[in-house]
Amino acid sequence: MTTLTSLARARAAERGHAEPVCTVRHLHLSDRPLVFVPLTLAGEACAPLAAMIGDDPRAPRLLTVAQPRNRDQRFAFTAELAAAVIPYLEGFSAASETVLAGPGREERTRYCDAPQVLVPGPAAITFTRMLGRSTRFRRTDGPYPVPALVPLLGRWLTFLAEHTEIPGSCLLVAATDALSLHWATGQSPAEDLNLAALTGWISPPAGLTGSQAAAVAEDPLTWPPAGPATDPTFDNEVLAPLMEACDRAAVSGDEPAMRRARLALDQALRSQLIPAWELMWQAVGLLRSLPPGGHVAARWDADKDAFTFHAGHLRDGGPPQPRRDSAVAAARRLARLERLQASYGAQRAFDDPLVMAERRLAGEAFAGRVTAAEPGRVDRSGRRAVLRPRVTVETSDPVLAEEGSVVTSPARPAQEARIVSVSMPGGRPAQVVLELSKGMGRGLTAVAGSVPAPGEQVCYATFHDGYQPPPAFPEPDQTPWTHGGPLQPYVPSDEDAQEAWS
Amino acid sequence: MALRVGEAATRRVSIGFRPEGGAVNVTEARLDRIRGPIQPRNHNARTIAALSSNPGCARRAVMDAAGVDKQQVAAHAGFPAPFGQSRFALSRGNAFEAQVKADGCAELLRLLREHLDLPIPEASYADLEEAGGNTSREARYARTRALLARAAASGDDAGTMFDHPLLRLGVGGRPVYLEPDLLAFKLGHQFHVVEIKSFAVIDGQADGDKVAAAVIQSAVYVLALRQVLGELGCGPDLVADEVLLVCPENFASRPAGAALDVRRQLTVLRRQLARLERIDSLLEALPPGLTFDLARGPDGAVQRPRAELADALAVVPARYTPDCLASCEMCFFCRQEAAGTTAALGVTALEDLGGVEHIATALHLARGSADAPGVQAEAAVLLRAAARLRQECLGEAV
Amino acid sequence: MVTSIEALEERIESLRGRVRRARLAGDRELAAALRQELRSAEREWDEALEELAGNQPAQNVPPARGEQPASSAPGSPPGGASPAGVAAPGREGTGVAAGGLALPLREQVHQALTLLTVPAAPRLVSLVHEAFFAGAISGARLTSLRRDEERSFRAAPFARPYYLCAALTADLLAPARGVLAVSTWPMERRVIGPLSPRVDFLTAAIQVAESILRVSQPGPGALRLLWRFASNIPGGMTSGGKTNPRRVAGAAEAERGIHADADQAARTDAAQRARAQLNDAQQLFGTRLRGAPRSAAGG
Repeated sequence: MTTLTSLARARAAERGHAEPVCTVRHLHLSDRPLVFVPLTLAGEACAPLAAMIGDDPRAPRLLTVAQPRNRDQRFAFTAELAAAVIPYLEGFSAASETVLAGPGREERTRYCDAPQVLVPGPAAITFTRMLGRSTRFRRTDGPYPVPALVPLLGRWLTFLAEHTEIPGSCLLVAATDALSLHWATGQSPAEDLNLAALTGWISPPAGLTGSQAAAVAEDPLTWPPAGPATDPTFDNEVLAPLMEACDRAAVSGDEPAMRRARLALDQALRSQLIPAWELMWQAVGLLRSLPPGGHVAARWDADKDAFTFHAGHLRDGGPPQPRRDSAVAAARRLARLERLQASYGAQRAFDDPLVMAERRLAGEAFAGRVTAAEPGRVDRSGRRAVLRPRVTVETSDPVLAEEGSVVTSPARPAQEARIVSVSMPGGRPAQVVLELSKGMGRGLTAVAGSVPAPGEQVCYATFHDGYQPPPAFPEPDQTPWTHGGPLQPYVPSDEDAQEAWS
Repeated sequence: MALRVGEAATRRVSIGFRPEGGAVNVTEARLDRIRGPIQPRNHNARTIAALSSNPGCARRAVMDAAGVDKQQVAAHAGFPAPFGQSRFALSRGNAFEAQVKADGCAELLRLLREHLDLPIPEASYADLEEAGGNTSREARYARTRALLARAAASGDDAGTMFDHPLLRLGVGGRPVYLEPDLLAFKLGHQFHVVEIKSFAVIDGQADGDKVAAAVIQSAVYVLALRQVLGELGCGPDLVADEVLLVCPENFASRPAGAALDVRRQLTVLRRQLARLERIDSLLEALPPGLTFDLARGPDGAVQRPRAELADALAVVPARYTPDCLASCEMCFFCRQEAAGTTAALGVTALEDLGGVEHIATALHLARGSADAPGVQAEAAVLLRAAARLRQECLGEAV
Repeated sequence: MVTSIEALEERIESLRGRVRRARLAGDRELAAALRQELRSAEREWDEALEELAGNQPAQNVPPARGEQPASSAPGSPPGGASPAGVAAPGREGTGVAAGGLALPLREQVHQALTLLTVPAAPRLVSLVHEAFFAGAISGARLTSLRRDEERSFRAAPFARPYYLCAALTADLLAPARGVLAVSTWPMERRVIGPLSPRVDFLTAAIQVAESILRVSQPGPGALRLLWRFASNIPGGMTSGGKTNPRRVAGAAEAERGIHADADQAARTDAAQRARAQLNDAQQLFGTRLRGAPRSAAGG
């Protein structure tokens, strides 16, 4: 939370309605996302209880498990889930296109679009990761076989879950994260994890304020939690007796009784999932109402690349993702994530004045009006004469950047501006003199429009989204002994597939 | 015969507490009055840990010291708490603990040998859950003390595993009974607190919040054990700073152990508990007739008027933060009291808004054109700048 | 008929909500009362559906109002046969003796304990029975067994050839929690000293290992049981995670030897005190009063 977002929350609390903290949408939204709402049994590491899944809001598919602690039922559920998910994922490999070479990348083929899975919240992402982990090493043969599609689903789920750690990636998205990124409610971030309350603040039903809608949303009987955790009173008063009825029918072998028991159980689980299902599609609608930011398409292209690569990896029979990264891989990953985080932050600020406003308040950027310009100024002090226009910007923002430092304008990203001087004649506003280079064409005359003119509103930031070469790391087989030595290749073993004895 | 299992955190012991010496002192009398004529709810490691994480909240300190059933009080004040435990989680927890301790603590012994380097001959087991059929807390505590004393003397019959011992810790000037899962003693070395939790450790990683909670609860037990042994004349070094956490590993149910260092938590706890010592001074500030009694009639129906109960609660100041939503049954009641404060917006909101405590004030400063006096001058500058930026981007005033 | 099912469903939904609200408000009595109503409404619903299904020629039970057919994982294979890896419950509570007759619960427990030769917890008893005899024993029925046996004994002492009884803690001669023993065993075997739980575990391991060696084709249950012992005894498994009955028996014997003397001394002492201080029923089922402690420090 920052001063600006806290101020927005204060305003939202006063108004009784959520306040925007973005003017554009900073994530890609698929035309046909797959909504996935899982429920788990309390107390277990990863025991799916039910799920509602589908890419059509009018056609949810309900999957349930009568006895989540039963291994075979658990894998049967996962097989059903695979039958719902894998065709959706693989459908995107039907159409591909050629992508031209660019800085640091060669020419390659890439699918035209990629899948997007939406879940209610971060806990559902954790569940997806767990489910992927508990299934991707399983074998379809041997002493503990699982149905055929289960390991494949596990690898896809792991792929999706791992990508949530990449800043700006949208292959798997939590609805509460996506909504909170764009709106501030009048409650705390902890309360925003309740999807019904969050949506209630942003888009309350007719006749209610946002805060009234959120208060109603906290009642688990009216709005069952979007999961994966279920409400404890539901577990104790409704679910447990229904599961016992299924157990009894299974033991006695009474088929009609089992069918009735399953019917009752399915009805109850459906009642816990339908409200969340509807909230998810409402969230999709709310996000779609925002126009996408300028860099969203480029980030989605990166997701498409990743999807294409992973699909190819699976087709070629590559091994499942290892349990832990090797030391070199981990270090590489961390460095890459840091670069991506900085880049993602910069892109959002460039795309959205309200996000840039936060950087301005922190002194990392300033905006104002050009009061004077020397577009033709040439620097002859060096070996060659070079074009070095100067502009003076008047700004009320705090300017913390030091003289000599380089700043960038979102309007002219290829251009560098060096701060020559910052002065505050008699207090605010400040006068900043900048010397410009690059982005003006060749020669000693600037291309029209490449130099800011007096009266123009401009913004300059100390951060940028430029390409940075990755730091050098040793090859995996050269891993120093201090970091565990060279990585052993993954060989599937029986240990992965073994089950508990108890 | 049934395996007697139970989750210590939710256990209610039916025998009320009377301090040793028999006489009911002034503090006790006041706390009894506040609670009303019902049995006190017991503190446990979880509530002590929660209490120490929000020591500035007098309401919680007083209610916990008096043993008030906060869930019931919150419900009857019109704000039922969103807490409850799923029986699936409970039964899983009980089942895992039973598995770890089955067959002479076979799995546990394997882990103790592995993590504490316990020599093979040291394998004896003492069950302290009952004291010969007599389950009063005093009797169990006395038996625990006796066995711990014998162990501390380090003779041949010292004993190794002590199952469900009952310890005692002074909290807010009053003794509280606590029941760790198990204590392990290595002859010539130290006692170790053993905590058995049923959340899974996958690929060496577990849910951070759950591990943190387990660590703090274990630290409470370490403190309690040191206090008990201290009363027997032993030094604190007799209890290890390392706790053994036992959890299921990966997706099988195989118990695995991890040694956790709790020194940092011990420091924090000691400091917070010292601040709690002053329950007497908290009570002195309250009107003598104050009570949260629900005044149940013979049919069990609550007769205390809701408004009156709410007024009584309001007499004792609280300190609401959004963290309360995860740890205290009074959270919804205190939250509605805190409506309009910046603290309710998030843990950093107060600081983000320049230290201004009320939402209305913050917005007023943000909209103001003149400089604000005194301490709010800086906040006013910050908030006005923020408001200006928002207005510039959105085209409408804040 | 369909209307009454709908009405029942609405009533069930409403009752569920009211029970849960009562729980949230902390009103246990109201919740209990409503739960009773809810259970009977659920039963009515079940019966109404059953009747409806009986009246219909087709197999399918009509989906409830608004309900789409659920695509769900199979609840259980037909006939109640268990999937691989899950213990078959069998017909509850009965095993099959040689000759095909069903054994009562107490006989099954006696069989398992006789194989183990040491006091054991219900779970181990059940696993042993499943491994070497026919089928698992329902845990729920074992919880009341010791109490039933005590009642039977007090009604007519020594009328039966054996009783399933308690093992007594050495220091207080109280019934040890969660453990069953056989009355015909000597007192020394039916007392639990500090090292006895471990020693009995090791003895059980040896007994299970030797039983496996006697059987021509040990089933998966027996091998799983052996693995449980092996993994918790030093030297019970190879570094590669393999085990066999001789290895387990050897390792168990090795550790048992370390504890044997101390354990035996404690048990002998306790048995003497039990015989001296307790009457017949107390020697079998323990005393709820505090027994004379072993030493001044033991109480």
